[in-house]
Amino acid sequence: MQTTIFTFTVLLLAFIGYYMGRSRAVATVSGDVRKLHSLPRHYGYFVALWCGVPALVLCVLWMLFEPYIVNTLVLSGVPNIDPDASSAVIARILSDVKFLAANGVGRGADDPVMVAAAEHYTHLKTVGTASLAVAIIAFSILGLVIGSRRVGADLKARNQVEGLIRWVLLASSVIAILTTIGIVGSLLFEAIRFFGKVPFTDFLFGLEWSPQIALRKDQVASQGSFGAVPIFAGTMLISFIALCVAVPVGLLSAIYMSEYATPKVRAIGKPMLEILAGIPTVVYGFFAALVVAPTIRGFGEAWGLDVSSESALAAGLVMGIMIIPFVSSLSDDVIRAVPQALRDGSYALGGTKSETVTQVILPAALPGIVGGVMLAASRAIGETMIVVMAAGLTANLTANPLQAVTTATVQMVTLLVGDQEFDSPKTLAAFALGLVLFCVTLCLNVVALRVVAKYREKYD
Amino acid sequence: MKPMTKENAIDIDKSVDINNEMTNPQVSSLQIPAEEVKIKAEDVRVRYGEKEALFGINLDIPQSKVTSFIGPSGCGKSTFLRCLNRMNDTIDGCSVTGNIHMDGVDILSKQVDTVLLRAKIGMVFQKPNPFPKSIYDNVAYGPRLHGLGNSKSDMDEIVETSLEKVGLLKEVKDRLLEPGTGLSGGQQQRLCIARAIAVDPEILLMDEPCSALDPIATAKIEELIDELRGSYTIVIVTHSMQQAARVSQQTAFFHLGNLVEYGETEQIFTSPQDERTKGYITGRFG
Amino acid sequence: MTELKESMQKAQARLKKRHAAETRFKAFGIGALVFAFLCVVMLFSSIISNGYTGFRQSYMKIDITFDESVIDPQGKRDFDTLNRADYGKIVKQSLYDFFPDVKKRGDKRTLSNLVSSNAAYTLRDMVVADPSLIGTSQSVWVMASDEVDMLIKNVFKREDDESTRPITNKEIAWVEKYESENRIETRFNTNFFTAGDSREPEQAGIRGALMGSALTMLITLALSFPCGVMAAIYLEEFAPKNKFTHIVEVNINNLAAVPSIVFGLLGLAIFLNIFGMPRSAPVAGGFVLALMTLPTIIIASRAALKSIPPSIMEAAIGVGASKMQAVFHHQLPLALPGILTGTIIGMAQALGETAPLLMIGMVAFIADVPGWINDPATVLPVQVYLWADSPERAFVEKTSAAIMVLLGFLITMNALAVLLRKKLERRW
Repeated sequence: MQTTIFTFTVLLLAFIGYYMGRSRAVATVSGDVRKLHSLPRHYGYFVALWCGVPALVLCVLWMLFEPYIVNTLVLSGVPNIDPDASSAVIARILSDVKFLAANGVGRGADDPVMVAAAEHYTHLKTVGTASLAVAIIAFSILGLVIGSRRVGADLKARNQVEGLIRWVLLASSVIAILTTIGIVGSLLFEAIRFFGKVPFTDFLFGLEWSPQIALRKDQVASQGSFGAVPIFAGTMLISFIALCVAVPVGLLSAIYMSEYATPKVRAIGKPMLEILAGIPTVVYGFFAALVVAPTIRGFGEAWGLDVSSESALAAGLVMGIMIIPFVSSLSDDVIRAVPQALRDGSYALGGTKSETVTQVILPAALPGIVGGVMLAASRAIGETMIVVMAAGLTANLTANPLQAVTTATVQMVTLLVGDQEFDSPKTLAAFALGLVLFCVTLCLNVVALRVVAKYREKYD
Repeated sequence: MKPMTKENAIDIDKSVDINNEMTNPQVSSLQIPAEEVKIKAEDVRVRYGEKEALFGINLDIPQSKVTSFIGPSGCGKSTFLRCLNRMNDTIDGCSVTGNIHMDGVDILSKQVDTVLLRAKIGMVFQKPNPFPKSIYDNVAYGPRLHGLGNSKSDMDEIVETSLEKVGLLKEVKDRLLEPGTGLSGGQQQRLCIARAIAVDPEILLMDEPCSALDPIATAKIEELIDELRGSYTIVIVTHSMQQAARVSQQTAFFHLGNLVEYGETEQIFTSPQDERTKGYITGRFG
Repeated sequence: MTELKESMQKAQARLKKRHAAETRFKAFGIGALVFAFLCVVMLFSSIISNGYTGFRQSYMKIDITFDESVIDPQGKRDFDTLNRADYGKIVKQSLYDFFPDVKKRGDKRTLSNLVSSNAAYTLRDMVVADPSLIGTSQSVWVMASDEVDMLIKNVFKREDDESTRPITNKEIAWVEKYESENRIETRFNTNFFTAGDSREPEQAGIRGALMGSALTMLITLALSFPCGVMAAIYLEEFAPKNKFTHIVEVNINNLAAVPSIVFGLLGLAIFLNIFGMPRSAPVAGGFVLALMTLPTIIIASRAALKSIPPSIMEAAIGVGASKMQAVFHHQLPLALPGILTGTIIGMAQALGETAPLLMIGMVAFIADVPGWINDPATVLPVQVYLWADSPERAFVEKTSAAIMVLLGFLITMNALAVLLRKKLERRW
């Protein structure tokens, strides 16, 4: 509500600024617009920006930092908080304070300390909002004045406005970098906290994963164990199964489509693969759990095999289906990039199509295909929903695809869905797993993208 | 070259009209004895989808000689060359009609196995196109496909003879296992020729084999063509009239999908009978 | 004909084998395509065959006596009383009256479970709307329970052994009595589109999830579209070719391949814990999905901008436009179809995304339909996930039906993108 009023006020002032700037510019040259450096509306934009941008920046900064500052101030006002109290405790205190402030004091016996804190909170909020309002309006008016003062025939209004737009454009492209920094920063920060509680080597090389920490300290096994090897192994197993399905099928269908298929077949085959690519992973997960897993179990029983209902095979198979279009479209690109001259060379020597494909085209396209398979592998490793819905939860160190295994993504979901305590190693472990996942997929991606780019250069 | 004047422009236009009406009889001063005819083409027509590219070509190619096809770009000379080993089959929507007999066998018939046919008729392309494999594997590729050279030593022999024939052996003897793509342009093209003759073909088709090469490499290839003439029937498409004059015994001039004139090379270049041939040879168009 | 050369004879001998290999290889290719095709068919057929019944719901006609002594014993007729009355009791009574033979307590409880607990709300709404009903007897169509619904839809088969299905023979006999009097029918399940989530399968609907998805997509679009396009303009038209630009480019390409769940971790650590955004709210989900979609939009927009020939730019600059003006007056409008296509595809991806939203708590059970971007909400794919996890058999059809709705949206969006590309994109 407040933000709406602020925004509206600033917009109104900017609007006024636009007309002020325009008319001022026209007035300085007494109506002869040709004497101006830029068009009159550029002067309008110039003043409007002077009016709006500083206020906007202030507003955004406020929104970012206000909660933090208020919370700190409120907490500092609350005596006898254990300095070592966990973040969950602090969060509880804060939410209690906010609840009191929002619903009014006096419902039953309230802790006087909390009541005081709530009043403090309300006070801070009111003061803050009022000062923000004053500051914003002051900034806007100041901007308006400065901006319109600078308007004159010589002011390069267009260049200035365009200069600002350029900065905005640059800022937009920096968001991508900020995202990466955000990812790396948050993962590293939480993971380091995790490694403060659980030794790095235990995590990376430990063979037992049971993150369930008992609620009471005296319970047996209150210390969970965080050996991630079974998880990595499970992830690898399922990804491997997925690639075993996706690479041959994707590659062969790409070869067929680019070398053999008539335009008619291609017109059907391409959209069909695109449909596979467009299906959300949660649907694949449902398909795996509802159809594929029971079918595989049924087959297994028919042959007297003991198949888990959450077998790695089912999850891997469906994941493979999901990756087929990915592999096939990448391979298709790569195969198409092989120059026709090489095909002609082989046909002219009397090579059949299959000989040409296997002995000339595939070796020539190999780097590109390897790059594509790496990208597909990174996809498989990072895939979440299929495994969450169709793979197991318990960490099992096995290479048997008929048993249930778990993956890094499954563990991250189970650890983070539900109540979180940001100090428990259980929650932080998810970030450590996330860090490993991010590093592995990043390496695969960087190398794969490089390989593919190099490959493309070769035949361009 | 003479600048394009209004006069010659009209000349060319006239020739275009004549072509489209298909009334112009083909001029051929060549009399080849029947037993020396290696390839006999009769009324060969090619169309790419709706577009017609060749309007009934009749041509006899003699054995163990070099025949060159000349003409402005887009005249159908390469298209006709690609008919001779059915390379046009690999292009979607391309249809070839008429008869082409090679040693009395109609190679356009459905019964003919293109794989075997292409083993008999080697081809060299405009741009050198060595496979991204070693020099050795490049040459050995064809023989391996067709099951020639069963033992390692047989294969070594085939590779060495082929490279020897194109004069490349000396240059690459120590790096047979290095990639063929690492050679210079001229060497690459000679490698491609070696690759073609490794399967022991009877005919060699060359589609502007020197257009991507520098003059020195070109001279080497031309020399090579001359040497190979005895053992193979060679058909070469070329953009350069000088090259045609240098390497070939017969020359055929193509224009806008028609074979305009065919004769002894010397005769074509010294006393062409058709106006269009004359115009092209004297550089009025093309 | 001359005699074949020795080499040709050798080649001829191998021919049959080589052609067999060729046929085999071709068959592999066809096999791969057929496999992919079968996967599509199996996926769709299993979803549709399980899901199409989800759009229908069984209703039962029961005879209700609006007993004043139960609803409003004091005769006040005010809203509060009418609203809070025990309508469940009336419903139960109706069932007991229909089967006077049922005496045992356990049986009675089972009997009362034939109709959905939603029936009581149906009655409440009737009475609140028209208090004069009190004291009368009416035949009312109420929702059947999920088990009866499954029986009517023949998911639970009557001929199966009793122990293998969750509905007993006794219950089936009761249902058959209703059936014999034509008191059961299936209708279009409007409730599915108007209700929020529920623990009871027959009452669960996708309205809340649809609204959550719409709000989340709104945020995603509002953030990622302008940012993506502006970034693309900068990188394609203005950025100097230096190391920084190169880093940004590489970074964007890699970001496009980062697993989606990692974006969820980012959202949890930064948006929720540092910026204090509300958990489970579309605003946080929208931010996370916006960051995820951004690379897709940037890459598509750059490709669209790149495809415009430089002559346009040169022409504009030639008549005295600044570079900025040339870009915004000419390049951008011309590239717009391509940009929009990329944006729609990015949005479709975001709409189907589940994993990162689990991380920021959009996976909670939320029965209310969210009103605005701060309200707790869930989205359609997460709803699918939640229902897929529920043990009741009836949720399988709800899940499949929700998937059909989701796929409907996605297919529409992708078709729109294809159409846009075909109609508007210019080939230069």
